Amino acid sequence: MNMHTDFSYFAPGTVPELHQLLQQQSKSTELLAGGTDLLVDIRAGRKSPDRIIDIKQIEAFKTVDYSPDKGLIIGASVSCSELIENTTIQKHYPLLVEAAADLASAQLRNRATIVGNLCNASPCGDMSRALLCLDASLEISSADSRRSVPLNDFITGVKTTVLTENELVEQIRVPAAMADLPAGNRKLKRIKGHDLSLASVSMVRSNDKLRIAIGSCSITPVLLPEFPVTVDLEEIYAQTDKLISPIDDVRCTADYRKFMVNNYIKQLYHQLT
Amino acid sequence: MRENIPDDQLRYVGKETDRVDSIEKLTGKARYTGDLRFPGLLHAAVKRSPHARARILNIDISAAEKMAGVHAVLTGKELNYKLGLYLVDKDVLARDMVRHHGEAVAAVAAETPKLARQALDKIKVEYQVETPVLDALEAMQDNSRLVHPGLDEYDYFKPAFTPQPGTNIANQTKIRKGDIDRGFSEADHIFEREYTNPNVQHVPMETHVAVASWKEAGKLDVSTSCQSPFTVRNLLCVAFNLSHKDVHVEVPYVGGGFGGKAGIGVEPLAACLSKKANGQPVKLEASREEEFSLLPCRCGLTYQIKTGVSNDGKIIAQKMTMIWDSGAYADYAVNVTRASSYSASGPYEIPNAHVDGYTVYTNKPYGTAYRGFGHVEFSWGMERHMDYMAERLGIDPLEFRLRNALKPGSLTLTGEKILPSTGNVTACMEAAAEAINYGELTEEERAREKRTGRKIAKSVSALHKAPAMPSFTATAAELRMNEDGSINADLSLTEYGQGTYTALTQIIAEELKFPPEKIHLSIKGDTEKAPYDWQTVASKGLLMSGNACIKAVQDLLDRAYNDAAQVLRADPCDLDHDADKIFIKHHPDENVSFSDLAVGYALPNGQGIGGPLIGLGRYMAQGLTNLDKETGQGLPALDWTYGSHGVVLEVDLETGEFDIIQVASAFDVGKTINPQAVRGQVIGGMIQGLGTALCEGYAYDSEGHLLNPSFTDNKIPTAKDIPEKIEGIVVETPQIDGPYGARGVGEHSMIALCGAIGNAIYWASGADLTHMPIRHEDVWWALHNTDKDRQRARYSIC
Repeated sequence: MNMHTDFSYFAPGTVPELHQLLQQQSKSTELLAGGTDLLVDIRAGRKSPDRIIDIKQIEAFKTVDYSPDKGLIIGASVSCSELIENTTIQKHYPLLVEAAADLASAQLRNRATIVGNLCNASPCGDMSRALLCLDASLEISSADSRRSVPLNDFITGVKTTVLTENELVEQIRVPAAMADLPAGNRKLKRIKGHDLSLASVSMVRSNDKLRIAIGSCSITPVLLPEFPVTVDLEEIYAQTDKLISPIDDVRCTADYRKFMVNNYIKQLYHQLT
Repeated sequence: MRENIPDDQLRYVGKETDRVDSIEKLTGKARYTGDLRFPGLLHAAVKRSPHARARILNIDISAAEKMAGVHAVLTGKELNYKLGLYLVDKDVLARDMVRHHGEAVAAVAAETPKLARQALDKIKVEYQVETPVLDALEAMQDNSRLVHPGLDEYDYFKPAFTPQPGTNIANQTKIRKGDIDRGFSEADHIFEREYTNPNVQHVPMETHVAVASWKEAGKLDVSTSCQSPFTVRNLLCVAFNLSHKDVHVEVPYVGGGFGGKAGIGVEPLAACLSKKANGQPVKLEASREEEFSLLPCRCGLTYQIKTGVSNDGKIIAQKMTMIWDSGAYADYAVNVTRASSYSASGPYEIPNAHVDGYTVYTNKPYGTAYRGFGHVEFSWGMERHMDYMAERLGIDPLEFRLRNALKPGSLTLTGEKILPSTGNVTACMEAAAEAINYGELTEEERAREKRTGRKIAKSVSALHKAPAMPSFTATAAELRMNEDGSINADLSLTEYGQGTYTALTQIIAEELKFPPEKIHLSIKGDTEKAPYDWQTVASKGLLMSGNACIKAVQDLLDRAYNDAAQVLRADPCDLDHDADKIFIKHHPDENVSFSDLAVGYALPNGQGIGGPLIGLGRYMAQGLTNLDKETGQGLPALDWTYGSHGVVLEVDLETGEFDIIQVASAFDVGKTINPQAVRGQVIGGMIQGLGTALCEGYAYDSEGHLLNPSFTDNKIPTAKDIPEKIEGIVVETPQIDGPYGARGVGEHSMIALCGAIGNAIYWASGADLTHMPIRHEDVWWALHNTDKDRQRARYSIC
């Protein structure tokens, strides 16, 4: 393959080494996990990093761990396919499996990571929508700090996050309380195969509450305020209408996006209540 | 030829046969142009226009030229060459004016692809942006700005085309049959509607790529991914004033073409860069994004149909106006216009017909050949129109088609009389209808409707197409026997996925009585080694090259029998042969082996007889004529392949979402040579047709910028999009001048599928769509919104 840009490649084996690398000054550094967004951006000339740091050698990032008291942990290099095939996640968080299984194509799912999908911060990201519903948070670290950020605060705009230059996401945490809940996903696509979401909805029923997240209808995925399960559908529609701002573009019109979001909400509402 | 041999007397023709190229392709051993290695190879990159229409005020290449490792930088200024298949209207690089978004304005050849791209960044182009002409109907108005003010100076192929200088009309094709005014006056009902199609990209797996070396003394070597090596050679010779003997075009394996590689593409620019780089080989390989707008696409079409019908459902008169949006250059679009004009009614008899086909220049990426050559596009309108009329007449749409279908004795739009051997479109429709249980829902389907809440509907469409080619189209095949009695064969048909080489191997095997394993057709095209073929297009390859192969075998056997007659001291008329030897019929033990004859026979005393056994077969299309320019009357069709699609689909009336449950397609192939290959063409073309019907098409903004030049927003069907049930059916009405009765079916599987889908959606939901593609969103707009709202949805793909 023709290289489109010259860069230095690093593959640290431990988190401290990775932190060290991130502390060093550089023109632009990109983290490489699955590379399914990064390589596309490099080829298109949108990014030309002088350093690429591959995180896949770090053992700790390969973790998928679930316990009934601590909930679910997904490490930074866990791919969509690994998540889909994980029987524990299939059992306790089927919403995540459903969302991941409809992300891109089989080949891309083998490479693309869950954390990468969040860090790419696309308004149409498939995992962010589902993880918002599940009240996920991200464990962020750098050489001299650690912090935990709710996913709802993590994505700040189209392809932007709260991450600073020397930080990275080590893992996603999903609360134990969100395990084993009735949930569902709907995603509007142009073909049945590999496509971005044109509009999408995830919904979880947690005790007497409905948690709803909407993708591709705003500059970020949108988490609606919780509703009691007894809520009237019209009330959800009204809130949705206030909080989303879909656009007309080459993929879809705003009107159809809006219509299908409501339609998906209706479908999932009837499925879960 | 050989069209009436009973199946039980055929050894290889008609039998399931594995593709001759499958192992090389599946093991990755097949070499494509991009795999070839050349010492000193330079890599090209192309600077492209960000505007749909602009004057080029200045191009500064000085900084790019100074870069180390950059061997050639070109602009249109120093390339005084014009290109064009039928109408010579295109520069190698834009000069003075850019005519579409993405047009090439400068090019670089450098030692690495990266260096070439960096050099491009240093080229500065000053443009004066102008308002583009984007709508073909507006472009036809008298006051429209001209895309080609110099149209009157261009050379063109005069027997077939009629440009109109001073306008944007690159060609007008007229067909006049019967008395259109009287026809309309006799009709009980008049139906008039307009149907539209966007530009569509071919998306072959292998993008366009060529390597050119312009050597000393006007010698040019080109390796390229193309469909037609001899057309590439001829056009290069004409454009650059070179002798045909000095231009060598070779074509290794090709990863798909679909018409996009039918003519000439990246070869001339690669050649000019090589010339500028003192003959070093230059490789120009299009990126996927460049496929969308540096290279050509399928033309857009606006089809206006006005039909007069009698109370008993017979079409009496039809006026058909086709406005083909050819974009910035005429390329194949003028011939798409011509070919679709003479087929414009579909496989129905129209006693009084009036067709005006216009090829119209606009400031959009230019149109070229695309599988179906216009028929996919116009059949969308015509098949929708048939159902539109049938509903208003209160006649079942299939019945309406059957009443009007071409049958023996019917006259086509150009006055050609249909014969019993022409084919049977009625049988195709009946077979497709039967396969989908047309006219009723099965118990299973009714249960499904109940379960899903969706509505199921069915439709049957019909189609025809003949090859669009010059009346004097010719080809040839050459066979050479080897020392072991095996055969090498050469022809210049390009195998780019159709499976024709496997079918031709079967035909040669059948004719020779040799097992196919003893025959090898060289897949690599080579204008220095293999005999001429016009182009690999139009679904004419099997018929024409098949006949050439039969004649080549006869020629080789004539020589072999003459030599054997001397050896056996017999009359050639008393000889027969099997896979190994020629023998005397009445004394079969008296024989001579092919291996002993292959390169000349040696008598026991050492004396020689005969010589290398070769066979040449030429084939010329029979009995075709030019069309009269005023009436369009004449004989343009080598053969007509008829077909029909039956479609079952279900629609969600609330959301507009729909799923295709079943497609059953029937074609009158004359004679199946290889069932595997027919199946491949039938299913492959049907799925490509689904892409056109459901999701593909160019979207532009109001300034003519192409908004979706990649797979992110130009979706094509995937394995998941294949209908639940698919079926291919063959009808076999032997073609008298087809090899073993066969005719082509390469393009047909894609034609009229879109209309069948549009009709079934209408019958299921009432969504009455006249524009392709039909996205779920479009169905929703049609079901729930006003006409004005619906226009807004067109924003996307237009």
